[in-house]
Formats: sequence, C-alpha cells, structure tokens
Amino acid sequence: MAVDSRENRALLMLTVGLAGWLVPGGGYVVLREYKRGLIIFVAIVLTLCVGLYVGSIGVVDPVGAKLWYLAQILSSPAVAAVGHVTAVGEYPVYGRPNEIGQIYTSIAGLLNLLCIINAVYMACAGKIPEGK
Amino acid sequence: MFAYALSVMASFTAPEEIGTNVQSLLLLLPLLAAVSVVYKATKLSEITAITFLKESVLLFGSIVVFMVATALVLCVVAWLVTG
Repeated sequence: MAVDSRENRALLMLTVGLAGWLVPGGGYVVLREYKRGLIIFVAIVLTLCVGLYVGSIGVVDPVGAKLWYLAQILSSPAVAAVGHVTAVGEYPVYGRPNEIGQIYTSIAGLLNLLCIINAVYMACAGKIPEGK
Repeated sequence: MFAYALSVMASFTAPEEIGTNVQSLLLLLPLLAAVSVVYKATKLSEITAITFLKESVLLFGSIVVFMVATALVLCVVAWLVTG
C-alpha cells in the first residue's frame, strides 16, 4: 500500500512537472489550483509574447544564442517549434530589440521553471487543500 | 478577420524599433510586473483578489525603489571615479 502511494505521488509529481512545462500554469491546474494556474498562464504567456513582439521571433535562436535558448525553451515546447523555424537564420535581429526580446523571453522561461518547481514541491509535500 | 489575424502574426516576424535612449528603460516595468505577479502567485497560500493585488503591487514597488536606489549609487560612484 505504502509503495503504491509512493508510486502514485511520483507519478503525480511527474505529471505536474510535465503539465507545467507543456502549458505555463498547467501544473497548478493538475493540482486543481485553477486561480493560481490562470494567473501564471496569463503572466508568462504575456511576457513571452511581448518579448517575441519587441524582438520578433528571431530572438529565439538555437544556433547563435544557445544559452538564451535554453532559458527560453523552459516556457513551453512551443518555443522549440519557433526555434525550428528561426534556426535557418531568416529572421535576423540585432541591437536593442534583440536584447529586450531575449531578456523578456528568457525571463518568461525562468519564471516558468520557478512555477514548475513550486508545483512539483506542492505535489510532493501533499499541499493540496482538502476537498479539492 | 483572417487578414487581421495574419497581420498580427506578421508583426512577430519583424523587430520593433527601440532606440538606446532613457525612455527605453521603461520597458523594464512590464517585466517587473510579470515577475511580481508570478512570484506572488507561487508564494501566497490562499489567493484572494485584494491580498494578491496588494502583495504584488508592494513587491513591484519595492523592486522599483531598490533598482532606482542602486542606479543612484552607481551614478554617484561613477561621478566620484570619473569626476
């Protein structure tokens, strides 16, 4: 029984982490923390979109800016799809728009990492309110 | 509607023009707002509209004040070193 429970918890943690990466705030939705999930989804998606709008999709550069890309891809696997499009170098962006775009998109990714870790911790510690 | 959706998507393929001026520093504010909102969303045990807004605004204000103070200190240091 205890083994079952431990396995269930591990499965829940994995599901929460994966859901949080697939859709920002998704981990909290799995834990039925809908308000928290919605706030995080809106904040992270808006930050990512502002970054992509200011610097264009060219700021996602898996070839020339690998470290930035590592942070950006933490937002969602959708960033990998954008990276696949921009990898050929058809969307060059330089200077200030590039800096601002990279900072916004990378911060969005790092904020999502914070949320994933927090949601997984909540799942691990069993901090799910009763009745939910 | 379709044309509008296409034009919105097209706006993501070319960068905006941002000069290297003082006004461009204002782009820091939306980022700080996002950081405050996400941080408070992860930290508050119970999310109610008033508490959440109050806490987020407080954090946003504290970060802005701290950054302005840091900028002032750096300006003074730069002035002392170069002046």
